[in-house]
Amino acid sequence: MWDWNYAFEVLPEIASALGVTISATVVGFILALVLGLIWTLLIRSSNKIITTVADSIVKFIRNTPLLVQLYFIFYVFPQFGLSLDPFTAGVIGLGLHYSTYLSEVFRSGIESVGPGQWEVATALNFTTKKTWTRIILPQAIPPVLPVIGNYFITMFKETPLLSAITLVEILQTAQNIGAGTFRYTEPLTIVGVLFLLLSYPASIALRQLENRVTARYS
Amino acid sequence: MSEPIVKYNNVTKYFDDLMVLDGIDFEIQPGEKVALVGPSGSGKTTFARLLMTLEEITDGTIEVEGDYLWHEEDSNGELKPASTEHLRKVRSNIGMVFQHFHLFPHMTVLENIIEAPVTVKGIDKKEAIKDGKEMLEKVGLSDKADTYPAQLSGGQKQRVAIARALVMKPKVLIFDEPTSALDPELVGEVLDVIKDIANQGETSMLLITHEMDFAREVADRIAFFDAGKIVEDGPPSEILYNPQAPRLKEFLERFMSTQASPE
Repeated sequence: MWDWNYAFEVLPEIASALGVTISATVVGFILALVLGLIWTLLIRSSNKIITTVADSIVKFIRNTPLLVQLYFIFYVFPQFGLSLDPFTAGVIGLGLHYSTYLSEVFRSGIESVGPGQWEVATALNFTTKKTWTRIILPQAIPPVLPVIGNYFITMFKETPLLSAITLVEILQTAQNIGAGTFRYTEPLTIVGVLFLLLSYPASIALRQLENRVTARYS
Repeated sequence: MSEPIVKYNNVTKYFDDLMVLDGIDFEIQPGEKVALVGPSGSGKTTFARLLMTLEEITDGTIEVEGDYLWHEEDSNGELKPASTEHLRKVRSNIGMVFQHFHLFPHMTVLENIIEAPVTVKGIDKKEAIKDGKEMLEKVGLSDKADTYPAQLSGGQKQRVAIARALVMKPKVLIFDEPTSALDPELVGEVLDVIKDIANQGETSMLLITHEMDFAREVADRIAFFDAGKIVEDGPPSEILYNPQAPRLKEFLERFMSTQASPE
């Protein structure tokens, strides 16, 4: 049933695809962070039209499946003249989708900063920009870091979805191997174990971060 | 008298349909210390918050050193709502100390004090630190420079907040019930600091307070608010010992009976 020789034979090839998985996660998450913050700020805008449009876009993306979005970006965009390679399409899809969750996280962080901080920023004559960068965000972000970290791990575990748009990350690599040899057990198990080996320590590190944040902010 | 530093012209403020300030005219002279007293809901806090631009004015104008705060003149000399730049320029003359301090919890005491000079005024950091330390000495907290606000008592927090406001060198400093959130035994240290600043002179002060003894000691003038109007306005001796308006008499009687003064 389980062939160790075969397992060790295919391990290097699968592990080598880990680079694609990790870079898709990292780049996608950076995009999600930046976009997420932009959504939050747009939704908080005093301009009603901007608020409504941004809020609608976020709700739309959040309430439709990531897989559909990935298909759309990869297969439909080219019809409008925008052809993207699988990695770029995948990173945009992940980043866009997760930005809508992170936007909600940022919102809750920002709302946890009391109105007094805004008032004192006015009293000390801060510009709007400096109020955000020096006063509000440095207080809003640390308490929600654990939640942000959670989304990072969740997103990492969702990257196999990118195999659906032909990105050769670790799941796709394992499938390709399986398709060639008709042996799926070892390659797929290795994929699962590799994810476990990375996300479990990450979640432990996150728990520690959470403890530190709780100790500091309560 | 010289030019007033602050001038309210027929200032009205509504919160939706509720009138909070009813056409107030008021002047503050340079260096003058004015205490604002009156029952809660009488409009004294809103009156001060309009000057700090924390509430928007509904009608009328406020001038600071001859410049409109909420308005500016267009090329035809007509008043239009102030631009952000104009508002910031005029607002830079005003400072405020809040009831609940509102220190920046993510910064040390010294960082709290130098933040606005460096970020807002663009003062060199070394210089800001020097000024900040001097200011901390003034409020008696030199040893707390590297402490975070969470480790301070309420009285110490308020003294830091005062130093933070003062280091911006406002021409008018508003104190919004600076001791109301403090334990009784911590009130004295904060009042002493405010008295020191008052005695040093040139900063004009608006003091919203329930401490009548303090108002009498520090203020050149007391303005009594009731139902969105300044009902009576004069030197402490007149207001406290020879009140004219029936509402002021009532207010003072209730006050004296609930607060038997130990002095």
